[in-house]
Amino acid sequence: MEYDYLIKFLALGDSGVGKTSFLYQYTDGVFNARFISTVGIDFREKRLVHQYKGRNHRINLQLWDTAGQERFRSLTTAFYRDAMGFLLLFDLTNEKSFLEIRNWIEQLRMHAYCETPDIVLCGNKADLEDRRVIKEWRAKEFADKLGISYYETSAATGQNVAIVIDALLEKVMIRMESAVDKAVLPGRRGRSRDLNEPEEYSPVASSSCSC
Amino acid sequence: MSLNLQYEAIGKGFVQQYYALFDDPVQRPNLANMYNVESSFMTFEGTQLQGSVKIMEKLLSLSFQKISRAITAIDSQPMFDGGVIINVLGRLQTDEDIPQAYIQTFILKPIEGSFFVQHDIFRLVLHNTA
Repeated sequence: MEYDYLIKFLALGDSGVGKTSFLYQYTDGVFNARFISTVGIDFREKRLVHQYKGRNHRINLQLWDTAGQERFRSLTTAFYRDAMGFLLLFDLTNEKSFLEIRNWIEQLRMHAYCETPDIVLCGNKADLEDRRVIKEWRAKEFADKLGISYYETSAATGQNVAIVIDALLEKVMIRMESAVDKAVLPGRRGRSRDLNEPEEYSPVASSSCSC
Repeated sequence: MSLNLQYEAIGKGFVQQYYALFDDPVQRPNLANMYNVESSFMTFEGTQLQGSVKIMEKLLSLSFQKISRAITAIDSQPMFDGGVIINVLGRLQTDEDIPQAYIQTFILKPIEGSFFVQHDIFRLVLHNTA
């Protein structure tokens, strides 16, 4: 099947927060998983049709997962390369995983194609209400401060899983639409230029990033 | 001091003992005895640590419960101060994650008929390109 867009999302967060289960839930347990051992990446693909501005876009969505190396804080630049959207997960029953979100955002901003990429924060394991230690308002307030959206999810029941992916897809599509004119897309960080212009230094060059 | 010709046996024996402690969560804190309070260095995935306290903080902060290992090669050489340099090539699996290759280098420094780990460098074998 042909597609119009290839879009790559990364799932990030401490080990044990449910990244793999989340992606598994989204793909209904049916996915093409591929593991690239040299870079420690496990990724799945899903084809879908996304409606944007009344038009149907055929999308090949790649969902990249770590393979446990985040335990060692060893994500290589290859992992972040060309990613357009970021699913940042923590475990509502684990305080530390929530506190680590700040570090993950730092990492992400350092390695992503721009400093303000599209991120959705997910408080996962919402089904374990009796074991919850992070209150909804607390996570919400945190996300608001960072200017990112927040959802409570459950990879076990499927709560908000598809909604989160759709929300992220929507953000990415909006950015892609607005970036087309400026030729600022992932993988071209800091090298943005109008393709119609000669490759000379232009003192009036506007912001190099669409974000 | 002169070269210690037992380097091969020391290397193998050390690695076996070190990982036996490391891989058992109950015994992992005992690794502290392998390092010196001041003069041990560790580079863990690019993070520089000095002294047994900082090193143990790092090792005990790792979040996996289970770890299993397959050692492919242990290469050792004697050093002119009587120490031994050891390079380990292996694979490890944490909990149910996919197994990962790693390399770890140790330098054992002789002290009163025994050794301590003066240098310890650890990296998963992950590249920037597929």
